[in-house]
Amino acid sequence: MEQNAWIHEQLQHLFTNTDDYNRRTLIKAAQDLIREQEKRIYQMEGEIEGTIWSPKRWGE
Amino acid sequence: MRTLLIVSHPDIIESYSQQYFLNGIKDFSNITVHHLENLYPDWNIDVRKEQELLREHDRIIFQFPFYWYSSPPLLKHWQDVVLEEGVTHGPRGGILEGKEFGLVLMIGVSEKEYRAGGNEQFTISELTKPFQAMAGKTGMHYLPPFEIYQFVYTEDDRKMDILIPYWQMLTMENNDSLATRENWLMDLLEDVINTSEGTDEQNILEYAKNIIEENQSEIEDLKIVLNQMYHR
Repeated sequence: MEQNAWIHEQLQHLFTNTDDYNRRTLIKAAQDLIREQEKRIYQMEGEIEGTIWSPKRWGE
Repeated sequence: MRTLLIVSHPDIIESYSQQYFLNGIKDFSNITVHHLENLYPDWNIDVRKEQELLREHDRIIFQFPFYWYSSPPLLKHWQDVVLEEGVTHGPRGGILEGKEFGLVLMIGVSEKEYRAGGNEQFTISELTKPFQAMAGKTGMHYLPPFEIYQFVYTEDDRKMDILIPYWQMLTMENNDSLATRENWLMDLLEDVINTSEGTDEQNILEYAKNIIEENQSEIEDLKIVLNQMYHR
């Protein structure tokens, strides 16, 4: 995740310093997609954790 | 995949939304922009040339302002003369068979009016039935339409959020899954990386692409773990 924080910072810097509108849009697309991936990973990890701790599994 | 973007607008220079979106795709080499009013001001359509263009592309898009629940008149005329039985469609199939077809609509009224009880009474899916029927008759797969409502009132920082899915409508495989969008974006980044050699931009975008790839494989691994947990 630390690596991701670094790339967000770098992409934001590039976004701010790029003049070409379409290139900036592409940078934004990358920022948005990485955020969506992070959210998906967080949700899936939560789902795994929740399943491990589910009372249904306690009897196993 | 090659996309033919057939644009119909009688006064395109004055249209802010058309200019915005057409400028937004000027870097895409796999999109052919084909503005009918500019090419055929006298409505004398070169039917063979149009059919040849259709043949050369895999995805056909009509882009137009939604006037009186339909297209500007030249696009209707284009359909009347270019879609010719025995060539584009017919009992033995035609050149459009198996291609994809979609609409990009610029709409001046707010989205909430296009529903039962709204000012327009009907949904866009209901009002665009003739285009759906045309796609069906010619053997094309009808894509979900891309609807742009009251673009002129859209705030600047929201515009890119509309331009990105517009790019996808024109150039991405018809599948909105995260994996498809990841692969599509990585291809776009790759193109830019190859043309910006030795710059900071190249390094950062290359790094971003690697992160997307790593995240993608992490998601795949988590899917496997979850699958095993639910099916053991």
